[in-house]
Amino acid sequence: MADSGQVSSEGKKLRIITIGALIGFIAFLYLVQLFVMQVVNTGKFSQDATSFSQRSVAVPAKRGEIFDRSHTAPLVLNVDSFQVNFNPAEVPNGDIPQVLAKLAVILRMPFTELERRVPPYLYASFQTIELKKAVDYSTVTRIAENLSLYPGVSWDSSPIRSYVDLESLSHVVGYVGNITQDELQVLYNQGYGLRSVVGKSGIEKRFDLTLRGKEGARFRTVDVNGRNVDSTAKDEIIPESGKDIVLTIDRDIQRLAERALGSRMGSVVVLRPATGEVLAMVSYPYYDPNKFYTDEANREYARLQIDPAFPFLNRTIQSTYPPGSTFKVIMTTAILGDKVLDPNRTFLCTGTVEVGDRVFKCNKLTGHGVVNLAAALAQSCNIYYYSAGLEYLGIDRIDDYSMRFGLGQITGIDLPGEISGLVPTPKWKERTLNYPWLGGDTVNTSIGQGYLQVSPMQMANVVAMVSNAGKVFRPHLVKAIIDPATGRVEESQPEILSESTIAPEVWAQVQDDMRGVISEGTAAVVITTKAVKVAGKTGTAEDGSKGSSNHSWFVAYAPWDDPDPMNRVVVAVQVEKTNEWEWWAPKAADLIFHGIFTQETYEEVLQDLKPWYVRAP
Amino acid sequence: MSDERTKPLFTIDPTLALAVLGLMTMGVLFIYSSGVNSNGVLITTEYMKQILWAGIALIVLVSFSYVNYSLLRDLSFWIYLFFLILLVLTLLFGRVVNGAKAWIGIFGLGGQPSEFAKIATVLFLARFLANKRGQISDWKVFTQAFLIVAIPMILILRQPDTGTTLVFIPIFLVMLFIAGGKVRHILYIAMVGVLSFVLALIPAVETLIYRESNGFGNLLTDPKVLAIIGGTLTLLVALCVVGFQQFKQRIYYWLGYFFSILLIAFLVGYVLRLILKDYQIMRFIVFLDPSVDPKGSGWNLIQSMTAIGSGGFLGKGFLLGTQSHYRFLPMQSTDFIFSILGEEWGFVGALAVFSCFLVLMLRMLFIMQTIKDNFGVLVISGFVGMFFTHVFVNIGMTVGIMPVTGIPLYFMSYGGSSLIAASLAVGITMNIYNRRFRF
Repeated sequence: MADSGQVSSEGKKLRIITIGALIGFIAFLYLVQLFVMQVVNTGKFSQDATSFSQRSVAVPAKRGEIFDRSHTAPLVLNVDSFQVNFNPAEVPNGDIPQVLAKLAVILRMPFTELERRVPPYLYASFQTIELKKAVDYSTVTRIAENLSLYPGVSWDSSPIRSYVDLESLSHVVGYVGNITQDELQVLYNQGYGLRSVVGKSGIEKRFDLTLRGKEGARFRTVDVNGRNVDSTAKDEIIPESGKDIVLTIDRDIQRLAERALGSRMGSVVVLRPATGEVLAMVSYPYYDPNKFYTDEANREYARLQIDPAFPFLNRTIQSTYPPGSTFKVIMTTAILGDKVLDPNRTFLCTGTVEVGDRVFKCNKLTGHGVVNLAAALAQSCNIYYYSAGLEYLGIDRIDDYSMRFGLGQITGIDLPGEISGLVPTPKWKERTLNYPWLGGDTVNTSIGQGYLQVSPMQMANVVAMVSNAGKVFRPHLVKAIIDPATGRVEESQPEILSESTIAPEVWAQVQDDMRGVISEGTAAVVITTKAVKVAGKTGTAEDGSKGSSNHSWFVAYAPWDDPDPMNRVVVAVQVEKTNEWEWWAPKAADLIFHGIFTQETYEEVLQDLKPWYVRAP
Repeated sequence: MSDERTKPLFTIDPTLALAVLGLMTMGVLFIYSSGVNSNGVLITTEYMKQILWAGIALIVLVSFSYVNYSLLRDLSFWIYLFFLILLVLTLLFGRVVNGAKAWIGIFGLGGQPSEFAKIATVLFLARFLANKRGQISDWKVFTQAFLIVAIPMILILRQPDTGTTLVFIPIFLVMLFIAGGKVRHILYIAMVGVLSFVLALIPAVETLIYRESNGFGNLLTDPKVLAIIGGTLTLLVALCVVGFQQFKQRIYYWLGYFFSILLIAFLVGYVLRLILKDYQIMRFIVFLDPSVDPKGSGWNLIQSMTAIGSGGFLGKGFLLGTQSHYRFLPMQSTDFIFSILGEEWGFVGALAVFSCFLVLMLRMLFIMQTIKDNFGVLVISGFVGMFFTHVFVNIGMTVGIMPVTGIPLYFMSYGGSSLIAASLAVGITMNIYNRRFRF
């Protein structure tokens, strides 16, 4: 039998042993794999197991609130808002369309939109899908009360910001939004995540880390459907609330300045020169950040983006203009400081002067006649400053004094996006325009024209320097940071930005000359307030393009005669030339000064002052 | 010798019986455990049903160890035919279980014919091969043997139940090997099979895992390139055939051997790519890299490995698993029963399961060695191949060595058909052993 079969008994035995060996070998490999998994690497798998069943729920930190200097009612509130999510794997596949249909009704969303977010191929997915953002508390309550009707539905709390009567403060306070990819790349190392909400502009952006606090976490053990298995929360990281910020802004002055500027494109800065506190900061036009948290957010944002008036621009620090005649304050200081010219020496203004082959005109074409330095500033005589700039000072000294006053440099205010403007030097002109500096350029610069570019905030600082007799404090908007948990108040201290070596007599003279502008000079007709003695300088500036009207400037401080520096206030107003309101800047400043020193509202100022330039309403 | 012949014919082999009882007990325990939810409440009565089925299975086991197996041999063709018809009926009238039309019955009584079709095929193939001694290498015999296996495979693939279909291949190979088939022929089939799958999956591997084309996948998808490769390989095979006939040199034989493997695998791989559904391809892909789809197809594998790995040496304790009771682990009572055991009883429990299965299979091999009846030897070899495949594919799937194919772990997974079929196989083995001296 063994011979007839192909399997000899030896051959059969060998083949059976081969099979046995194969089984043994594979079993051995399997046991090695099991040993590696269960004994060698069991720690890693245990961690995985814990991470599967331990879910950490982020507990959002309350974002800090923002107050004005009176620290009464907040300018920004946090309002409850929710994001509704859906986990398809928790619902039997056949029921999903039904659940979505019910959600469409309660979330007030088109059914097709929900279908798009939860397509059939995701029906078995364990991934949570976001259905809708910015769902209000009452809707979520209704879902929670009937949770059995909405299987697989969950929600996250994501409070939104609500800005209260912000109006012109929108540029100061700013707004928040979801972090973008670009922002995350920069901020990742500072503890921001994919779902962080981050300040996009203003104080919200600059002090985001202070305001946001620290997110907490709650750990719970869950089953695969995310249901709590263990009711006792074992570990919890308590969120740290963000700190509150008290601004230096005085809401009354802000409102006053806002109304005084009205709907004229431009900006106002009100500063306390003794500390650098910004009391008001208005830039028109402004925007309403609350609209960014509604369903029309994208449309509103797009509309503002393409608005030719650039409502997102904070004109006080993000726009620069030629300073025009306000620059004569710096010129005067330079003339006196470097003693290049006897202030009593007179020039004859005939209305025009020739430099090279160009003819420069005075603002008064018939001429000012005989003027000394004080009269030249008061009357804003261009001819005087042409000669002084070209023949006595020279561009290097002009530039030097401009820099000493902080032009061409950022002020370092605690807001993002400040720009530095430009102080033109011969080197700069040769490098960028590839053309030599000419006498005409010096003449132009002498009256704040040409290439010179300054921001209203810089001009406010120029006046602050004069009023402080050489000292400038860094302008700032944050008065104090308050930790709501401990109540600890961190007051911001005035910080000296620059201190000049110019002699005190020079400053006294400049102050007197600036007073002269109001008492007997160009601003005499428009500064009608008797509440306080104002010292300042007007300015009308051409910006190179042809047009009937000019940029209107007025920079001033008051009171001129009070020795206590804490009482002094600087006001800088800039109204862009696109407005038909000729010469509005000193008029606005007149209203603002009167309001500040009589503690009246805009309406009361109008009634009290009855200015000739505002028609009775 | 004579006193041995008078030994009773229906003794129960204690070794096999103990292994089977051990596995069944563990099965019931962990089916019970899998029914306990995260709040510690038992939510199904699956374990009760399993106990009932285990009772039936044991009765079947004892009965079949008693009935003379020569009856099975004589009826093997009709049994085979009966189950083929039943498979066809299942395709027509069957009920869908886990995505495959695999269940048939009347009045709520019924089962999965594919489980029993394996046994029927083993019996019929054993009879066929036992009658063809000395002719196994003949291509005619080989083709016939292959057809016996291929017909039920095609019917089961239509359900579609890929896992059960694939079980037939190792059964066929083991039986062919024991029947005296040439090693190079068996390797030929094995290599064609493996290579076909590899070639079928390469394009998907490239797009889903590497996420960039290194050009290799294009070779298998571009029809023009396909035609060129297919043509070249055909030409090479033809050259080898001619060369072998002309010069009778072995080098032509072996070159032809390898080129034809490539050619067939190439064609089968192409056909497989057309037949296999996306989700089936995805199962193989996540086996290679579960992170491709961690919440979808990769979920089962990740959760199973996490459950077993976190079990540690001694396990988390009976009823104390977290992956299982918090329902992260899918299909715990059926396909992934080993995972819940591995989590709650740890490496020690896994060792116990392995011991039982090793005892079972090695004892069957020992029985094969002691009996002289060729039919009996081949039947048991088929059963060994069947157990071998089920055990290693199922456990391999839970520990990430094998792709996820839904075949049950014999004696342990919840379900009557597989339990009774496996017991049937053990019963027939005991029967053959009891009658070893009659031949």
